[in-house]
Amino acid sequence: MTTVLILLLLALGAYLVAVIETWTITGRFQLAAPLFAGIALLGRESIVPRKPDRIFFEVAPVLLLISAILAAAVVPLTPDLIITDLATGALFINAALVYVLVALLMAGWGPDGAYAMIGGWRFLGQLIAYAMLIVMPITAVVMRAESLLTTQIVVSQAGVWNIVYQPLGFVLFFIAAMALAFLPPFDLPTAKGELAGGVEAEYTGVRLAVFRLGRLALIITLAAATVIFYLGGWQGPWLPPWAWSAIKILVVTATMLLIGRFMPRIREADLLAWCWIFGIPLALLNIFLVGVLVLVLP
Amino acid sequence: MSALEQYGLLLGLTIGVIAFVLSLYLFTQMIGKTRQEPAKDVPATGGQLSRDPVWVRYHARYYGYALLFLAFDMEMAFMYPWAVVYKQVGRVALLDMGVFLAILFLGLLYGWSQGALRRQ
Repeated sequence: MTTVLILLLLALGAYLVAVIETWTITGRFQLAAPLFAGIALLGRESIVPRKPDRIFFEVAPVLLLISAILAAAVVPLTPDLIITDLATGALFINAALVYVLVALLMAGWGPDGAYAMIGGWRFLGQLIAYAMLIVMPITAVVMRAESLLTTQIVVSQAGVWNIVYQPLGFVLFFIAAMALAFLPPFDLPTAKGELAGGVEAEYTGVRLAVFRLGRLALIITLAAATVIFYLGGWQGPWLPPWAWSAIKILVVTATMLLIGRFMPRIREADLLAWCWIFGIPLALLNIFLVGVLVLVLP
Repeated sequence: MSALEQYGLLLGLTIGVIAFVLSLYLFTQMIGKTRQEPAKDVPATGGQLSRDPVWVRYHARYYGYALLFLAFDMEMAFMYPWAVVYKQVGRVALLDMGVFLAILFLGLLYGWSQGALRRQ
């Protein structure tokens, strides 16, 4: 029952992401546009390129969707509204989201198209840049919560949210989450106007619909993960828990999408250099600071 | 729920997503077929087949980062269990991991000095 409810909420969330994304790009708030776009995609032909690696080509969109949904399965919206409260929840989010890379690399390799291929390889470089900035801040969060249970992580923020307790970790995780979801300043694998859609370039019709659905689910999942790791999850005064979760997740999503609106696309070489020269030392510093804080504060 | 049931649920979720996608494919096949027409299946390269093959060896110009990444990724495998028991073990844990991380960080600095943190 909970599973079905969360999957429906995830679908609703993905839909709202599409609405917000249109709003951040065009300035128009069209509530029905994603519905029509989805129906149009289903009605179109889904062409397979002439000499594809058929298995990679077919698996990639499905795998993207699966990895986003599996990560969402361990994210609590209220104390009870969670699909499975895994004992290794925080680690599992990581494990599930690594398959985003696999999916995009498959989508790049599969169709035997030059643009797609470049997009796929670029994302491999992007992973090497952002991956450490996902796992290291999560470690610092786990240190404070003394548990990998995602519900326990939210409960540990009862007094002070992690965004106050470890602001450095929040900033790093937020940027890395945007890179993981390949949102605009980091949209190297898709790169509209430069790679003609990159890994999306060879997908049409229903396969593209599944690919885009996977991407939207990934964005909402990462926003939800940011909320439970740093913004106190369902906690907040006056309103019921589910309302706080919904408000926070939507605000984080809108922020992620809005930032990309005002930033030029970052080159792969720059992203790698900045992530390793500034990002990782800062992430290690964050672990050390949290380590001291956890021991000093009661 | 026991751990086994939890993983069973996650497996069920995976199979459910695959079934959902397959049913979606079936539905679109019912409402209209893809017509086979000449040159429709050319990849998006300006309407022509690309001159060179695409599946070739690719120069991973970030290999310096990639090697460092391996070291740091292995280190993360130790960090998670350490982070869970950190508060219980106390100051010793901070010192232990501090030494470990300091050595790794020196490795990062060494790599930087040797030009590993540069797209080759």
